[in-house]
Amino acid sequence: MQSKFAQLKTEALLALQSIKDKMQLEELEIKLLGRSGGELTNLLKGLKDLSDDARKETGRLANEVKKEIEDALAAKKKELSAAGLNEMLEKERVDITQPALPKKAIGHFHPNTLIQDDLEDFFTSMGFMVLDGPELESDFYNFTALNIPETHPARDMQDTFYIKGNADWVMRTHTTSVQVRAMQKYGAPLRAIVPGKCYRNESTDPRHEHTFYQLDGVVIDKKINFSHMKGVFQAVADHLFGKDTKIRLMPKYYPFVEPGVRGEVTCFICAGKGCRVCKNSGWLEAMPGGMIHPNVLRAGGIDPNEYQGFAFGFGLTRMVMLKYGIEDVRLLESGNMKFLEQF
Amino acid sequence: MLISYNWLKKYVNLPDSISAAEVAEKLKASTVEVEGIEVQGKNLENIVVGKIITCEKHPNADKLKLCKADVGNEQLQIICGGSNVKDGMLVALAKVGAKVKWHGEGELIELKPTAIRGIESAGMICASTEIGLGGMFPLRDEKEILDLSFIVGKAKQPHGLGSTNKGFVAPHLASHKDKFVGRPLAEALGLDDSILEIDNKSLSNRPDLWGHYGIAREVAVLFNKKLKEFKTGKIKPSKEINLKVEVEDTKLCPRYMAVAVSGVSVEPSPQWLQKALLAVGQRSINNIVDITNYIMLDMGQPMHAFDASKITNSTIVVRKAKDGEEFVTLDGLKRNLDSSMLMIGDKDKNLAIAGIKGGLDSGITDGTKTIIFESANFEAASIRKTSAKLGLRTDSSARFEKSLDPNLAALALERAVELIVECCPQAKVVSKVVDEAKFNLQQGPLAISLDFFHKKIGVKLAKKEIIKILEHLGFEIKTSGDEFKVKIPTWRATKDISIPEDLVEEVVRIYGYEKIAPQLPEFFIDPPEENKLRQLERQCKNILVNSLAYTEVYNYSFVSGAQIAKMTDNPDRYLQLDNPLSKEKPYLRRCLLLNLLENLENNQAGRDRLNLFEIGKVFRGENPGLRVESNKDSLLPGQDTWLTAVCLEKKNNAPFWQAREVVDILAKTVLPGLEVSKSDAGGIGRHPTRSVSLAVGEKIVGSVYELHPQVIENFGLDGRVAVVKINLSMVVDLPAAGEKYSALVEFPIVERDLAISVKKNINHGDIMAALSAVNPLLQSVELFDVYEGKGVGDNYKSMAYHFVYQNRERTLVTEEVDKVHNEIIKILREKFGAEVR
Repeated sequence: MQSKFAQLKTEALLALQSIKDKMQLEELEIKLLGRSGGELTNLLKGLKDLSDDARKETGRLANEVKKEIEDALAAKKKELSAAGLNEMLEKERVDITQPALPKKAIGHFHPNTLIQDDLEDFFTSMGFMVLDGPELESDFYNFTALNIPETHPARDMQDTFYIKGNADWVMRTHTTSVQVRAMQKYGAPLRAIVPGKCYRNESTDPRHEHTFYQLDGVVIDKKINFSHMKGVFQAVADHLFGKDTKIRLMPKYYPFVEPGVRGEVTCFICAGKGCRVCKNSGWLEAMPGGMIHPNVLRAGGIDPNEYQGFAFGFGLTRMVMLKYGIEDVRLLESGNMKFLEQF
Repeated sequence: MLISYNWLKKYVNLPDSISAAEVAEKLKASTVEVEGIEVQGKNLENIVVGKIITCEKHPNADKLKLCKADVGNEQLQIICGGSNVKDGMLVALAKVGAKVKWHGEGELIELKPTAIRGIESAGMICASTEIGLGGMFPLRDEKEILDLSFIVGKAKQPHGLGSTNKGFVAPHLASHKDKFVGRPLAEALGLDDSILEIDNKSLSNRPDLWGHYGIAREVAVLFNKKLKEFKTGKIKPSKEINLKVEVEDTKLCPRYMAVAVSGVSVEPSPQWLQKALLAVGQRSINNIVDITNYIMLDMGQPMHAFDASKITNSTIVVRKAKDGEEFVTLDGLKRNLDSSMLMIGDKDKNLAIAGIKGGLDSGITDGTKTIIFESANFEAASIRKTSAKLGLRTDSSARFEKSLDPNLAALALERAVELIVECCPQAKVVSKVVDEAKFNLQQGPLAISLDFFHKKIGVKLAKKEIIKILEHLGFEIKTSGDEFKVKIPTWRATKDISIPEDLVEEVVRIYGYEKIAPQLPEFFIDPPEENKLRQLERQCKNILVNSLAYTEVYNYSFVSGAQIAKMTDNPDRYLQLDNPLSKEKPYLRRCLLLNLLENLENNQAGRDRLNLFEIGKVFRGENPGLRVESNKDSLLPGQDTWLTAVCLEKKNNAPFWQAREVVDILAKTVLPGLEVSKSDAGGIGRHPTRSVSLAVGEKIVGSVYELHPQVIENFGLDGRVAVVKINLSMVVDLPAAGEKYSALVEFPIVERDLAISVKKNINHGDIMAALSAVNPLLQSVELFDVYEGKGVGDNYKSMAYHFVYQNRERTLVTEEVDKVHNEIIKILREKFGAEVR
């Protein structure tokens, strides 16, 4: 009896070695352990015919054999199922170079929005308010309050859009028009930017637009001076064009500032070496500005003997064109999907 | 304005070690914008004076000529496309190896032997711009080659308009044509100058810089050199002619000086004068005209010379024109005058438009023997207005409209007399010097303290430095401790300098902006007031772009009459530009839709679906806006910010739902409280049965609708269009709906679905209202499907609802749910005639 168990064990383990798949394994399992007719089951059934002593001894062996066979079967099962899973996973391989389908439609921001939002956040982080005012503005806020005299060329019909039937209504030519409104509303000290849409009566071509966007800024307090303006220019240049950007200021006349300057930054494309975009000068015109003219402070109800400040402004439209390398300004207001879908 | 470097050096002693480029850089940094420098004769190697021997049509090209040219030691065959090339002409001939700019643009290119249309060409006959001489010889027509024949004095100078030019006395060369042939061009033209091109706009506030002397004054300060004094001799008056001047309007003409000179002979100018003018692109005309031009370019003071024989009674009258009067200017054009324009005339007639241009009939001719020089000052604004009205801008008007120093007039007149005597030794003054003057310059003094400079600049400058800069610029300073009294020089006193801040600019620009270290201002921490409207705009954009796949457009604020008509709207409701750029789009938009529909039309080809939106201001005259001035009652028109989204779907019969989805998502995210109103306020261009107003509480704030089929057709659109319009300015001011969390309930929910069939005219909204208060166990009702068609009778629709029941305090039992659900079915049957499907 004992030898029969030993033999069965040897045969079973041998048979197990040649098992290739789960089906064979199952057959072998039934052949050995099946409830009716399983070889081991039959042998075990024979145990009851043995004497008590023999049954005790053989029984122990039988249990060992049973456990060994069961363990071997289980191990084989595990081995086979691992191999099967790998095979199955291999069959599930996808083409990872293919895009997700069907393609989901996505929307697009206008590039001006992208630049403007970024700058609004930047200035807000420095404690500036973000303001806007009317685009159809009074002659007073667009010109007179800004120390632009009646006879100034900017007021010419060929530079400014006027409104029929209202000689002192204009389409604002700059967002500087909000400056005096802001002074009147908030007083001093004041820190604000005004991004927005502006209009000039100018024929359009790839470099000129009658409609464009500007960002104007104003800082007023008791001790705000020229060096602070330069500091803010530098901060903006660093933010827009990178930390190594250099700036330089040159005199420029605007009626609403004194002294007035135009600021240039090193060309971010060629890093100042000279290229087509900067016309080989290494510099890009970026920011005009100046110390606010005392007449403008007065128009805003602020005492120029107590407070002083600077104002600056730059073309958002120009920044958008520079940043994305857009060569025809008219694309921005074209509503052309082929253009807009790129942003 | 062109500035000759050699001319500048007459007034400032600049060593050769300082280049024109350095001068340009310093001027740029401290004074004016220098747009470019043209170094005369640069890159002119291998370019010589050539003489055209024969000039025939190119056998294979209509617009090209086949030329043989003599270049001294050989003859070259050259193909030329110049419109004016002809036999015997002297030309600028670029030989093989020379460097030229094709058509004056791009990089310099070295010439190689080549064949053009099958015929060999051994060089190029150049236009002025192709060899960097465009400033000296401006192109009149793009195919014009540079005609050098004038250098031997037998032909007119380029572009001479019937002038009396009798010759250019070439430097160091005999005046025989063949002696020039083969000479290097730079040598033949005596080119040894550099020309600075200054942007006129950057001079608009600096009347003192409109001549070489003014620029020289700045250069002297910038390089710390002495400026030569501008010296002129007093004019010796005489009484042969009783010259009189009557100024009728002293406001428009604060000063008028004149003097008569006889014994002049109208001749070519001396060579130095011709060369000086040529260097800055001015054609030489004759000695008299050249002298007036030279003085203008030298000092910035425009002058005029009249033929004395044409002035009745030697009496000049400065007066305003009469309305409707006509006047023929020197260029032969008839000008229509009005009573705002100042004229120079005599008792009988007009002679010139003051400060702008002379008349055809009073000008200098070859036979002129006695002249009257005018040296005057005119009011800037009047000159600018007249010049704009007449569309006539001249070198003279450009200067007068900047507010010239009236003192210049006297210096200029003296200089003119000196020069005429130099040019015509027989010339002599034959009248007294008339000086009708009534002006008053505000020369200060301005009081300013040392501390003021520091306060404005943020850097402490030495008192010595400040005084040195100001004095060098011509200011006179009296100091008392750290207080200054600064007298403004006359040439800066007309408008440029009037307040202490102006002096700060003078000092800081010369001191150097680059020397001011940037520093950031210090502030108390003070959170900026939020711009709620701008935040709402940004939130809406984010949802539309990122959640709903809409693309943002920026459109013009102008619309056309045609667009308004297509919209079936009335143009009278629109505000209008007085001076639109194009007659086509004179109206201000009342609504963003018109241009969005044009966007759809332009983009619809090849796309089944287009989702666009814009956020921007609209202009409505009937709505009140902000005040025009803080202390005036009149108001600007209302300019609310609107969001408008459009959705064009070619394969969708009801894009209304796509637009409605936009509203629902916006309401769930950034516009809580926004809902479709029960009623439709109506509007232009809307589909009458697919349109509804949007409201927040009681306030109508927008609408969602499909476009009327007629409007769709008018705009040429290929599919149905749905529109969402929301007035963000209005929404932002409404109180935000209080959004609260409700506690989570752990008792299970019971869900039931129910499909009913009802007549088509039954509204979901009414059903919802009827079910709203049925029983507290009913937690929510959601419509999840609507179906019309097969299986549902005509005139009927099937609506499927999802019901959620829950007791918030205990577990529900089925019987309770059945009871409420049956109640609901009963209401649906009785109130809406519903049948359960």
